This record gives sequence, C-alpha cells and structure tokens, in this order.
Amino acid sequence: MIGKIRELAKRWIAEGKTDAIFGLKEENGHVAPNLFIKKSELERLVISPNYSLCYTLRPKNSNIFSLLERKYPNLKIGVVVRGCNERALFELAKRDQVDLERIEILGIACTKEEALECRCPKPYPQNLLVGERVEGVTNDDNVEALLKKTLPERLAFWNHEFSKCIKCYGCRNVCPMCFCQDCRMEKEQWVKTGVLPPEDPIFHFIRFYHISERCIECGECEKACPVDIPLLTISKLLRRDIKELFDYEAGLDVKQESPLLTTLDETLIKRGE
Amino acid sequence: MKLILDVKQMSEMKETSANSKKSKDDFEPKIIAFTCNWCSYAGADLAGVSRFQYPPNIRIIRLMCTGRLEPEIVVKALSHGADGVLILGCHIGDCHYLTGNHRTKKRIAILKRILSYRGIDPRRVKLDWVSAAEGYRFAKIVTEFTNEIRRSGPNPLKELA
Repeated sequence: MIGKIRELAKRWIAEGKTDAIFGLKEENGHVAPNLFIKKSELERLVISPNYSLCYTLRPKNSNIFSLLERKYPNLKIGVVVRGCNERALFELAKRDQVDLERIEILGIACTKEEALECRCPKPYPQNLLVGERVEGVTNDDNVEALLKKTLPERLAFWNHEFSKCIKCYGCRNVCPMCFCQDCRMEKEQWVKTGVLPPEDPIFHFIRFYHISERCIECGECEKACPVDIPLLTISKLLRRDIKELFDYEAGLDVKQESPLLTTLDETLIKRGE
Repeated sequence: MKLILDVKQMSEMKETSANSKKSKDDFEPKIIAFTCNWCSYAGADLAGVSRFQYPPNIRIIRLMCTGRLEPEIVVKALSHGADGVLILGCHIGDCHYLTGNHRTKKRIAILKRILSYRGIDPRRVKLDWVSAAEGYRFAKIVTEFTNEIRRSGPNPLKELA
C-alpha cells in the first residue's frame, strides 16, 4: 500500500499536478510531517504511526499553506489524508482556515485494525485513491455505558473523571478543529486560574461546546489525554445530536454550512451582520 | 366585623403556606433570568406595571439580545449557585437584530444535551419567548419555572464550587 502511495505521489509531482506533497517523513527512526518537493525524497514517505496531519494545518496565520502562500502564491500541494484528515480539511475550509483550491487530496483508506483502534465511524476519505474501504465502527461501549446511567450517576462519573485533569491543555492543543488565537479556556474571566483540577464543569464545557458541531471524531483528544479521561464519549454523542437536531454531520459535505452559523431556515449569517 | 374575618383568614392562609414550605425543606430556588432589552425586559416591566404576581426568586439580567448569551454564561451561572436559568427573548421573527434569537435557539439546544450528558438536569435551563406586550405571559412563565425548579430541588453543582 505504501508503495502505491509513493508511486502516485511521485507521478503527481512528475506530471506537475502538484508542486509538492505534504505527508509524514521517516528520518533516523523518527516520523514527522514534511513537505516533499523532490521525487527522490518520497522514498521516505510513510503513513504510520497514524499521526494527525490536520494538527499542522491550523491556525490560519501559521499553517503550512498560508506560510507558503505568501512566498509562492500559486503553489499547489498534494496532501496524504486519511478519513479523519479529510473531514478536518473540509471543516477548516468552511471556516476559512485552509483554501481547498490549493490542495489536492491524496486519500488513503485505513485498515480494519486502525479503524477499530480509533473507533472511527468512517475510516476512509471521500477522495479515496489508494486502499480498500472498510466499514466504520458504529457502536461505542463508552457511549452506551453513559447512556445507561441516570443523571446523578453521570454527574458522579464525570466529577471523578474530571477531578483527574491536570490542565495540560493536550485535548485542546491536539484538536484539529481548535484554531482560535485567544482561547477562552485560558481566560481568568471564564476559568479560575492557578487551581488544579481546573474549574469544573466550565473548563471542559467550553471545549465540548466549541467543537460540538464541528467534531470530526478523530479521537485525538482522548489519545492525547495523559490521565485517560474518555473525552470522545461526549463529543460522539453530540455528533449524533447535531445530526438529529439540525441534520448536519461535520466533515461530510464541504458545501453544507455549520448550523451554528445559519438561521433557523438555514440561510448563512454573514460576518458582521 | 368583616375586617377581622379577613385578618383571620389571612393568618390561616399564612400558616398553611408555612407548613407546606417546611415539608419542602425550606428550599427557595435561586433563578437567574436573562432577558433581551427589546421584548422580554419590556415584558417583565409590563408584568410589574400591571401588578401581575410572580415569585420573587428570579434575578433578571438584561442583555441587548439573547444572541449575546453564550452558553458558557449559563454554565457559569449554574456552577456559581443558580438553581435554574431562564432565558427569555423575542419571538422568532421579531428579533430586533433579525436573527439573534435564531442562534440562541440552536445554541441552547446543544447546551441542554451537554448538560444532560454531564449529569445535570437539562430542565434547569429554559428558553422561551416573551414579547413586550406579554406581561401576563412573563409572570406565568416565571411562576411555572420557579415551581418546576422548586420540585427538582437544589442544583447538585453547588457542592462542586
């Protein structure tokens, strides 16, 4: 599979379809995001470990595309994306963080094992070019367990979970959908500073609410959490709710506007209005 | 003669109300109400001017528009000791800023879901519409909401703060 991806990437550069390829590069045993410009370099292109590439795509004023755009306005970049990366790209494009016209999507499918590990509902991108698509994981044990609990049980459960929080901001920092320059989770006005665990429930509520309708279920927050708080549980439930309430699913349709940016009859509220 | 009877009746009424209070552990809910400047605050004003009775448990905070109300504010109110949060805005279509209440309606719907997953009764938050002419409706909503919160008891988040 990796051979096919490298081959395709090389062909894109050779044919001039893209000027460069953005993907993971292995060097001296370490893997990091890299912009491949030469064809020969592409031998180092890898797809594992499953590092969230989208993390490097935000925020707008410092993501790789914006930085390059200043110097090379017409540069076209091919990006090696998995299902979650593509959903993130679509959501970021809607919010004016990346310009999809400068991006060529080289979609790759995840394996069954990878999908199970991430509990991913859609482990393949829409622009699938390499790999076989496998079915996503639909049921989630954490979600079902939470739904079975009564309100006081949920309260006790989360009180315990959030009391473990060490306020490392890992969940926020790794989230491909968090791109504000000024974060409310850091503001004294909203969250008491200098106390551990952070003020509950407001600290975690801010994050859950802000990514409620845009969460793409990549699960990076949960993977990043050093104290294993099952953060994805609430985000997964919210994704279901947003579908039920507004018939909207983040990252599937690049043209459909977020329900929080539209009126009740789904006309877009323009900025400054 | 009649006056004395009235006083007697009143004192009896007081006693019964005091008894019923005791059975509910003397719980008087604190309710924060966010009203918009153009419709609901004027509606509250009208309720006052028209002398419609409603429970004194609410503390009104006036906003220019319910579209100003971030859900974070509601969560803050709850975690700082409010037993219920009442949000009153203009009827859909009547917003002074055209679409402010559209946004609030969507936001509060999401907020309620998060609260229920977190283990907080989403009925502690209520969004409704009151126009400037609906003083009676304002009094009615406040009365009903206060009774509902009184039934559900103190906010469990208070102990956390």
